[in-house]
Amino acid sequence: MSSSGNSNRWLIGIVAVLLVALCGALCIAGAGLYFLMQPGTIGSTPVSSGTTPGGIPTVTAPRAPAAGKNTLRLPGRGSGDPPTLDPALAGDADSAVYVVEIFSGLVTLDKNLKVIPDVAERWEVSGDGKTFTFFLRKEAKFHDGRPVTAQDFKYSIERVTNPALASHTAETYLGDIVGVKEKLTRKAQAVSGVEVVDDYTVKITIDAPKAYFLAKLTFPTAFIVDKNNVERGGRTWTDKPNGTGPFKLKEYARSQRLILTRNENFYREPKPQVDEVQFILGGGSAMTMYENGDLESVYVTISDIERVSDPKSPLNKEMTVSAELSTDFIVFNTRKPPFDDPKVRQAFALAIDRAKVVEVVYRKMSNVAPGILPPGMPGFVEGQAKVAYDPAKAKQLLAESKYAGKMPDITWTTVGAGGSAAQSIQAMTAMIKENLGITVSIQQTDWATFIGQLNDPNRNPFQIFDIAWIADYADPQNFIDILFRTGSTQNWAAYSNPDVDKLLDQAAVEKDTAQRFKLYQQIEQKILEDYPVVPFTVSNQYWLTKSYVKGMVYPPLIIPRLQYISLEK
Amino acid sequence: MGAFLVRRLIWLPILLFFISLITFALGLYGPGDPVQVMMGLHANPETIERLRHEYGFDQPFYVQYLRYIGNALQGNFGYSLVKYRDQPVGKLIADALPATIQLNLLAIGLGVLIGVPLGLLAGLNRDSWLDLLVRAFVIAGISFPIIFLNPVLTFIFSRRHDLILPAANLAVSVGPILPMVQGRWEGLLSAKIILPALIESTGVIAIMTRQMRAGIIEVMNEDFIRTARAKGLRERLVIFRHALRNALIPIATILGLMLGGLVAGSFLVENWFGVPGVGALTFDALSSRDYYVVMAMVLLIAVAYVVSNLIVDLTYGYLDPRIRKQ
Repeated sequence: MSSSGNSNRWLIGIVAVLLVALCGALCIAGAGLYFLMQPGTIGSTPVSSGTTPGGIPTVTAPRAPAAGKNTLRLPGRGSGDPPTLDPALAGDADSAVYVVEIFSGLVTLDKNLKVIPDVAERWEVSGDGKTFTFFLRKEAKFHDGRPVTAQDFKYSIERVTNPALASHTAETYLGDIVGVKEKLTRKAQAVSGVEVVDDYTVKITIDAPKAYFLAKLTFPTAFIVDKNNVERGGRTWTDKPNGTGPFKLKEYARSQRLILTRNENFYREPKPQVDEVQFILGGGSAMTMYENGDLESVYVTISDIERVSDPKSPLNKEMTVSAELSTDFIVFNTRKPPFDDPKVRQAFALAIDRAKVVEVVYRKMSNVAPGILPPGMPGFVEGQAKVAYDPAKAKQLLAESKYAGKMPDITWTTVGAGGSAAQSIQAMTAMIKENLGITVSIQQTDWATFIGQLNDPNRNPFQIFDIAWIADYADPQNFIDILFRTGSTQNWAAYSNPDVDKLLDQAAVEKDTAQRFKLYQQIEQKILEDYPVVPFTVSNQYWLTKSYVKGMVYPPLIIPRLQYISLEK
Repeated sequence: MGAFLVRRLIWLPILLFFISLITFALGLYGPGDPVQVMMGLHANPETIERLRHEYGFDQPFYVQYLRYIGNALQGNFGYSLVKYRDQPVGKLIADALPATIQLNLLAIGLGVLIGVPLGLLAGLNRDSWLDLLVRAFVIAGISFPIIFLNPVLTFIFSRRHDLILPAANLAVSVGPILPMVQGRWEGLLSAKIILPALIESTGVIAIMTRQMRAGIIEVMNEDFIRTARAKGLRERLVIFRHALRNALIPIATILGLMLGGLVAGSFLVENWFGVPGVGALTFDALSSRDYYVVMAMVLLIAVAYVVSNLIVDLTYGYLDPRIRKQ
């Protein structure tokens, strides 16, 4: 007995000594090196002092010189560096967020996600809805001062659709234009559906009347690039891009920072107001930088959310919540047992208490998804998904299903690399175990492997999995049609309902917007009744922004937004 | 010596051939595909097939491998496929290497400067309170994971702390003592490098301390030390002239092997502090199946280790005459 007491004391002693030693050594080494390596810091820099609003005098340690007065400093988006600054190759948000500031196209989205004129000042649509005639602004110029003409647009489209460029976005965003598919497969030399009428007029023909076509043109794939710039710059021409957008690229140091400067000659309102925008790329603690006053705005992660949400925190006054046009789904593969039985799908859906997961795991940073469409999406109506938590009914449905008593093994596949799967998935499988008595094992896989298997609908081996779909453009078609039409590549549930397909065809060509949205609502309801998916959560984004930043925009899609921002320091 | 060098250098291309072959095969036959990652959830089978054809991924393995090797021998290591689309891989790595080398150099330097004296002190004062403290520090250095040290030390040193002292009616802002890299890498002579280098060095310090402590304890029991003492040499002279030199040989070995790791980045430290080095580059390339970046990094690290091993073997003889004679 006494020996165990002794070893306990030993342990405590060692731990105490260990902590003291580590902190001590780091403090001494750190402080020593800091002063050694910053000659002139001691005693030579004046210490600024002032008074807080409360009357308490403050003493502030010397700070590094701040950036220029009219400079906006923001964290880089996502994982750091943009994969590309070439509009033809930018298919991801991390790239598009810079591309939409440096380049521009015929049309763009405003703050309310409405399609507005950009390089084109207006357009006309033919009676059959298949031909769009765009009239370009005569004052639109590239950053080097050269005027933008219809030939530049034509060149840009021919470039994106050149198969050798290997653009992966060309089909998705331009595939509706007559001749694009032929050119991509080397069956045609040029895109017949894009026609230069004169220097400032261009005519685009699409294969069928499609209400969402204009929205697709707001994507970088259809942006205008400068032929001289591209051809002289070679493969790395975007190191010095000559765009048409509200900002110019001043500097891009990979994994360090990307600096944009104002385009003084931008052709439309609102003209950019800040002189410079610095994006800090890389670095995992943007929050520290924000609190130190080195960033004007920062995205709040789940580890800081409680601290920031506290009304007593001074940071709380700087917080803004914005919606994201995305929905997290739990997807049932309707081709794989036991999820080929709708009763099993419904039972699983009713056995999961989504509200509890959102509250406990996500600390209310996300909300329970109200339906397939996220709030903020045009055509969204409240309360489409009637998936209430109902364990009793779930049990009953399971008993009625054809797999009652002979449930096959079930694996939930999820993207992750941790020692254990995401807490939300663990919580939901625990609920299924508790309410239905079914053990669901969890398999984690990395993203590249996951989409490799998922993208092939005939090979998709997953039974149940979770996935988030982020809107490409603000139209319900982007969710309802793309995710649930029979045979669509993104129809991961392998869901097929002839009634739904028929209604989707009808909605695609409906010209009256209100009527079209009503159709989509009706389809959404029909899909949800079949339970190919459970709409799980919709995300909110939490931002902190310094009070002297005016006009900050937190768009749910990537839009040109920096031109709205000004600083009042 | 000359024959030894030639033999080693002949092995280098053979080694590189096997390493490149295995890495290339793992990339090609392993799960995941750069075109799929590029397209994300927007994949459609026709586009994937078309792009795989444009990139030549539909060709047989040996065609792809030989083409890669052919280009690499001419100094063209291909272009990034996903993470930095169309950027030449050679340039990406060349741009990222200086930061990683600077960080690792400082980390190893700190490791030696702190670890060797600590180990010496502990070994010479075996079982004293100092020894106990140093051993505790070694355990801490080895067992505190970097993902723990990153946020904790950043919070302590890189954040501004606003202290309100009501008694003195004063609000004081302290810090940040050690700034984050913050968007601009300023190299070795900048305060920004200290915190990442210190964290990177915790493991090195621990290894150096341990090795030095064990080495000096062993050497102090050798016969020649007893002889030196019997000759009436002062203890300081015994330690520095006779013991230290022998105890440093294993340190030189470890150091030499670490030099090979100079070009291999640490994802965790680089990513957390925003160091624009090869660690983050390689990790991102791996997770997005950016084959050519991964290939070039693997080859670079292999060459670095072969060369550093060679240097270790060559310098051994100078440090220990016994090896030279064998």
